Amino acid sequence: MYKHLLKCASILLVLSAFLGGAQAFAQNRAISGTVYDENEQPVIGAVVMVVGNNRIATTTEADGSFTLHVPAGASISVESLGYVSQTIAVGDQLSFDIILQEDTQMLDETVVVGYGVQRKKLITGSTVNVSGEKLAATNAVDAFGALQSQAAGVNIVQNSGQPGESYKVTIRGMGTAGSNTPLYVVDGVPNGSITALSPNDIESIDVLKDAASSAIYGARASNGVILVTTKKGKAGKIQVTFDGYYGWQNANTNGVTPLNAKQYMEINDLAYDIQGTAKYDWASLIPKQYAQIQAGTWNGTNWLEETMVKNAPISNASINIRGGSEVSRFAIGFSKFDQTGTLGWPATPQYDRMTVRMNSDYSLIRKHGRDVLKFGENVTFTYTNKKGVSIGGIYDNNIRTLLTMSPLLPAYNDEGGWYEYKDIVADKWDFSAEMANPLAQLDYTRNQRYNKGYRLQSNFFLEFAPIKGLTFRSSFGWLYNHSESRSYVPVYELSTKSANPLDDVRQDQSYSMRWSLENTANWVKSFGRHNVDVLLGQSLEKWGYGSSVGVGNSNSLFPGSFEHAYITNANVVDPAYTSISGSPNSQGALSSFFGRANYNFAEKYLFSAVLRADGSSNFARGHRWGFFPSVSAGWVVSNEDFMSSTSNWLSFFKLRGSWGQNGNCNISSFQYVATVAFDDPYYFDSKDNPGIGAYPDILPNKDVKWETSEQLDLGFDARFFRSRLGLSFDWYNKMTKDWLVRAPILLSYGTGAPYVNGGDIKNTGFEVLLSWDDSPSRDFSYGISATFSHNKNMVTRIANSEGIIHGASNAIAQNTAELYRIQVGYPIGYFWGYEMDGIIQNDAQKQAYLDKYFEGDASKSFQGSSIQPGDVMFVDRNGDHKIDESDKTMIGDPNPDFTAGLTLHLEWKGLDFALNGYGSFGQQVAKSYRQFSDHPDDNYCTDVYTKYWNGEGSTNHYPRFTHGKHVNMSELSRVWIEDADFFKISTITLGYDLKRALKFLPVAKCRLYVTATNMFTFTGYSGMDPEVGFGNGTSWASGIDNGYYPSARSWQVGLNIAF
Amino acid sequence: MKKYIFFIASALGMMLLGGCDKFLDTQNLTKKDTSNFPVNETDAFQMVNGIYSVMNRNLADPEEDPFFIFDIASDDRLGGGSQSNIGAQGVDRLMNAYVNWMNPCWSNRYKGINRANSALETIDNVTSWTSASKKEQLLCEIYFLRAWYYFNLAQVFNGVPLVLSTEPQNLPRNTPDEVYAQIASDLKASIEHGPSQRYLDLGEGRANKWIAEGMMARVWLFYTGFYNKSELPLVEGGSISKAQVVSWLEDCIQNSGYGLVSDQRNLWPYTNPYTAKDYPYANENKLNWETDENMECMFSIKMSNKGGWSADSQLRHNRIVEFYGLRKTTEAAFPFSVQGYSNGPVCEKLWTDWAEDPDYAGDYRRVGSICDRLVEIPDYPGDKAKEVENTNLLAKKYIGCEAWNEDHSARYLSYGYYYGSENNRQTGLTQAITWLRFADVLLMHSELSDGKVIYNGKSGMNAVRARAGLPDIAYSLANIKKERRYELCFEAIRWNDLRRWGDVSEIVKNQVGNKILNEKYTGEYTFTVDFMERYQATGGFFKIPEDQVTLSEGVLEQNPGWESGTNWAKGDLPYFKK
Repeated sequence: MYKHLLKCASILLVLSAFLGGAQAFAQNRAISGTVYDENEQPVIGAVVMVVGNNRIATTTEADGSFTLHVPAGASISVESLGYVSQTIAVGDQLSFDIILQEDTQMLDETVVVGYGVQRKKLITGSTVNVSGEKLAATNAVDAFGALQSQAAGVNIVQNSGQPGESYKVTIRGMGTAGSNTPLYVVDGVPNGSITALSPNDIESIDVLKDAASSAIYGARASNGVILVTTKKGKAGKIQVTFDGYYGWQNANTNGVTPLNAKQYMEINDLAYDIQGTAKYDWASLIPKQYAQIQAGTWNGTNWLEETMVKNAPISNASINIRGGSEVSRFAIGFSKFDQTGTLGWPATPQYDRMTVRMNSDYSLIRKHGRDVLKFGENVTFTYTNKKGVSIGGIYDNNIRTLLTMSPLLPAYNDEGGWYEYKDIVADKWDFSAEMANPLAQLDYTRNQRYNKGYRLQSNFFLEFAPIKGLTFRSSFGWLYNHSESRSYVPVYELSTKSANPLDDVRQDQSYSMRWSLENTANWVKSFGRHNVDVLLGQSLEKWGYGSSVGVGNSNSLFPGSFEHAYITNANVVDPAYTSISGSPNSQGALSSFFGRANYNFAEKYLFSAVLRADGSSNFARGHRWGFFPSVSAGWVVSNEDFMSSTSNWLSFFKLRGSWGQNGNCNISSFQYVATVAFDDPYYFDSKDNPGIGAYPDILPNKDVKWETSEQLDLGFDARFFRSRLGLSFDWYNKMTKDWLVRAPILLSYGTGAPYVNGGDIKNTGFEVLLSWDDSPSRDFSYGISATFSHNKNMVTRIANSEGIIHGASNAIAQNTAELYRIQVGYPIGYFWGYEMDGIIQNDAQKQAYLDKYFEGDASKSFQGSSIQPGDVMFVDRNGDHKIDESDKTMIGDPNPDFTAGLTLHLEWKGLDFALNGYGSFGQQVAKSYRQFSDHPDDNYCTDVYTKYWNGEGSTNHYPRFTHGKHVNMSELSRVWIEDADFFKISTITLGYDLKRALKFLPVAKCRLYVTATNMFTFTGYSGMDPEVGFGNGTSWASGIDNGYYPSARSWQVGLNIAF
Repeated sequence: MKKYIFFIASALGMMLLGGCDKFLDTQNLTKKDTSNFPVNETDAFQMVNGIYSVMNRNLADPEEDPFFIFDIASDDRLGGGSQSNIGAQGVDRLMNAYVNWMNPCWSNRYKGINRANSALETIDNVTSWTSASKKEQLLCEIYFLRAWYYFNLAQVFNGVPLVLSTEPQNLPRNTPDEVYAQIASDLKASIEHGPSQRYLDLGEGRANKWIAEGMMARVWLFYTGFYNKSELPLVEGGSISKAQVVSWLEDCIQNSGYGLVSDQRNLWPYTNPYTAKDYPYANENKLNWETDENMECMFSIKMSNKGGWSADSQLRHNRIVEFYGLRKTTEAAFPFSVQGYSNGPVCEKLWTDWAEDPDYAGDYRRVGSICDRLVEIPDYPGDKAKEVENTNLLAKKYIGCEAWNEDHSARYLSYGYYYGSENNRQTGLTQAITWLRFADVLLMHSELSDGKVIYNGKSGMNAVRARAGLPDIAYSLANIKKERRYELCFEAIRWNDLRRWGDVSEIVKNQVGNKILNEKYTGEYTFTVDFMERYQATGGFFKIPEDQVTLSEGVLEQNPGWESGTNWAKGDLPYFKK
């Protein structure tokens, strides 16, 4: 098959050479020959052509042979992927035996490591390198979206599909109950932001996964490190590129449809029938609308449909210019990105981002073709403007409200305005006092606002290389962040409960700064076959400069005008509604020393050792310093002499192993003293005069220190068949010790719990990366790569007597118990509830169930004596013949067992095709799109007809349909938990370089492409989007779907131009 | 080898980095700590103020606030609300409502105790006082508040761990005798430290000697009555006799400057002029609100016009009032038209007993305290979709009221708007919660002195009756019981009175069979589990939050009757007859 494909490609290639057109062929004579590799194996599909005239070309046959007619005095070149190209002067020779040298350069790619670069083949740790090209090829909104399909072991989950929302990024599983966010280092400066960059600005992203790779960032590396390098200038001709696309997005709701008015009334009637009580008297509750529904002139409001934005635009334009000379190089980028949300009209979400980037470096002293003193800087400025709807929990969640609002409430009144309280009164609409027009609510509360961010990321460096191999580097990084927001909520009255009798004007501003100073010395030297690379460095960082202020007030002098909604225009201070705040940022500092020594013998035996010492201001004197060592080793087996026999198929094979420790100091500061807070005023003699109240707000923990993660990593990297097939494998065991938790303490201590070093957690897993890249001909190349990772997470210690850190109750609906928790022996954030044996299908089964667990006594069952077919069979796990808390157990795990990524690309004669996909398997999601307990009148979705138990054999997962609060529903069990395995084809792109056909174009490249984003999601999950990062506001929880902003599906048309 | 590397690196690091510690020192710009606080008199006041505000914090979860518990658990109110208000219904029925139920009550009272302990430990760090009496006054407040929080805990949970220092310790429960001894000693210290300034010279809202004297009587009555004792013990030895309590009460009645306001109804916000002008009952009776700052309400939880909503910090409006408000209100419910959750429907028996008692003929307090919805707000239909256990009787003392503006063109969500609060159905509810009222002091005096003449030439009981326009009657325990029930209804007094008198068995008679409306269906109030069975099992004490029992590794023992498995939410709710 492969041969056949090659053959076809070769024929096409040759054909194309002829298609070139009118040029006269000066074929003086025919030459022939055979192309071999170093092992005297024939090289198939090598391109042989005349230098300077690529129309005279051919490819080698299966036996490596070729023939070609060449003009006199010509030279031919022989090229094949994975080999060093050769140029041969033809002269008088007619027959050629050409031996191609394997191109080891391919393995000489360098990757970014902490404080430097390293050749990929000499790396002993576990890292992932994704080039900017690959990122940009996905046309993702930001680098995270692009990374999703490409980085094994990096789990990236969207927090929400709303534009501008962040991702939840975890490397090799969650290792702590605190922040699991990796450390981002942009151009060498820690705590940079990736989302502030346009994917077009990025040269490469390197993910340091194992402890040995990340140990050089010591104190903050326990969650892994992500290094971002922006595009740098290159000596040579100035290159200008333009990338732009425009797209149309639509909501991807996976078929979720709320009931219409008729269905809604039927279902409610049914609910009361089942309860055995009288139904709603619709005709008297909603007299006007009922008549319309009966007459068929109106069938209720489909709030979800109403709020959708059809063909919401998404666009991006970026220009990159780079060039320079031997002494000065630059790269400038400008990009603008705009995205509109697909849900949330009339407060349509919008996210705009503009970035300007300037990187350059200058040789101040240059001797013998070598920079002795060099200066440079990387500066990126980002502007963002964001507006959106409220998402997340069960109450302040616009998407949930739109899903659950009754269709019986009209959206508009007869005049076409919003249907408000006055209309409710006028129409004698009397169904429910809880209901208020959610679209009007969106319009009034979320539409008139913006949130702007201005961010500067920069670093300035000086490099001094007095002698060859020795480099001193000083780098100063500076980050500045400013945000500004403003909002206006007018006076409105939508229901008795939802009203805003005074308008609200609000303005907020904040800015923050941090700086870092790093000094490193690097010495690289070879002594014969001994190669040494030593790095010593020191760094200082300080943050917490800046402050924030906010003012909210009422009674704008320009009622109804957002444009005039400034505090100056609402300047009457009244303690009842004026709110002010102003606070400094929390300060902190980090001081570090580090060293790394790499040694290899003949690039065969590799060793590396790292030690970093970090001092953090978050701890008391005496507990500040942490030491983080790591060692790693590698053996490039394929460089051994005894491997020469396999070199015809095994191009490269390296075994590697590493061990190391990293830290995490990410806690609130001042945990080591009994701080006194002042936020509890008491009003003694007047409701307007606060008496400041002070109190010690934490129990101090003088001994709080680093949490340490220790990781062992074993793996190999291999390349086969002239390096075209790549395989990498990693196994790891990551143990986080002493993680910093705020474990519950006895409430009788009377104050807040401090952070303690109170838990251990273990992540083990493996990662596989498999890729195939080939370029059988000059005009044809293709590649496929797949990543696959498995992680198992287990909490092994929590330092309190319960061994539990509790999650919140009411996470999926009011009156539901604690849903998620951290507990020893279980994965972090697992779902906690009752096990169920399924649904009682018939009376015999009911009796069997009662006999099995409750000694045949129905009153002991959870449902009590009214238990009947269709009810949930809760499992009495402890055998005490009753169901209570002690029977609860793990009913789901939001952490995936496996994640996978897939990328595919094909290029043929200017045509290109690419596909990216990613998936997660083995995780569960807890989903509730209704507030069944305190809002029994919430709307249902159309799955109400099929989902519930409906007679024997109908389903074994969902109980019979009941109204309001019933044990079947209100007691958390597997009823609420769904498998959320999914695989998403995130992008499919088809492009063509017009330059191929239209030679006259005054550009080097002009590629036109179409991308389809999120077109296919393979999942059995019933909600809108199986990729649910939401964790009820808790950093270690996830997988809670309360009505989730789904990701959009879009078509994009784009253009890449290179001059 | 690893050790060596560590050692060398550590040694090197330490030498190099000694100077770095300064670089790593940061300053806390928004908080002080116990090393620099308190140092002066202002600090000392702030520190004491912080002890009060935990009462507001507890109001974020009103169903677990002692005031709500004592009010709803009594025979004169039901849980009510909607199907989802199982907190209120659980209190009413002594049934388990939630996992870790009562956590806010436990937590906030211990927070207050911790703050009081911290204040006692550090008040001597303050060296400069403007006058010696300032420190004495603060000590009086600190001791009072610590006693008060322990008294709350003891009435809700029985014997609790006595935490008397800020050192964290996992302590077992003390016996009730030990807890009450601590309460008595603290109250006694409060009385002894408190300056003898009269009401208003001391400033409004702060605890003082007089309040401590009144509270001592309540503690004494409950402890001796409920636990069947003759005296109240003290930690330092000895005890407090009945005579001692009576003399403190007399000190309070005669010297405090507190007194009865002219019309009892003027204590309740519905009599405020902004509401009253459109509320015929208040208007016709020429009622005029005395506001929250008056000579009768001695110890209250004060609210603020300034909204505070953060879950971690205190709430500054009265959420109990919010829960007592009606559901789905319209203008027809005016003045009780601030939308709430319809908790605490009033039991029929109180309404009829009051009317039938010849001693109480013509008592204005009956209609002044209870609104018969069918009479006063007949056009208000109620919330037929959600309201449960509705008796059509509404308690008027703690409830939100609306007000029309001058020209009757706009309704404000709270009368509070006119007093400077937000026009908001939640944050506009700023009515103070009064825990100790002068009328109660008078009634306790009568009960302890067999009706001795003390105030305006009358016994305490008859002084209170006279204020309500009722003639004198002879003192008897039966009469004082009736008087307390009527005068102090819906003020979180009744439940503990019944318990100390040993009268709880009456409760069943009062509530069972009460006609109620559940959503749109009529029915009768029933218990799922026999109430007396529950009362005997629990003693009327509530569940200690389970997580506290677990966290203590068994050091803290659960109250009897609240072991796992007695879960209220089990099975169908009792509202609907099957």
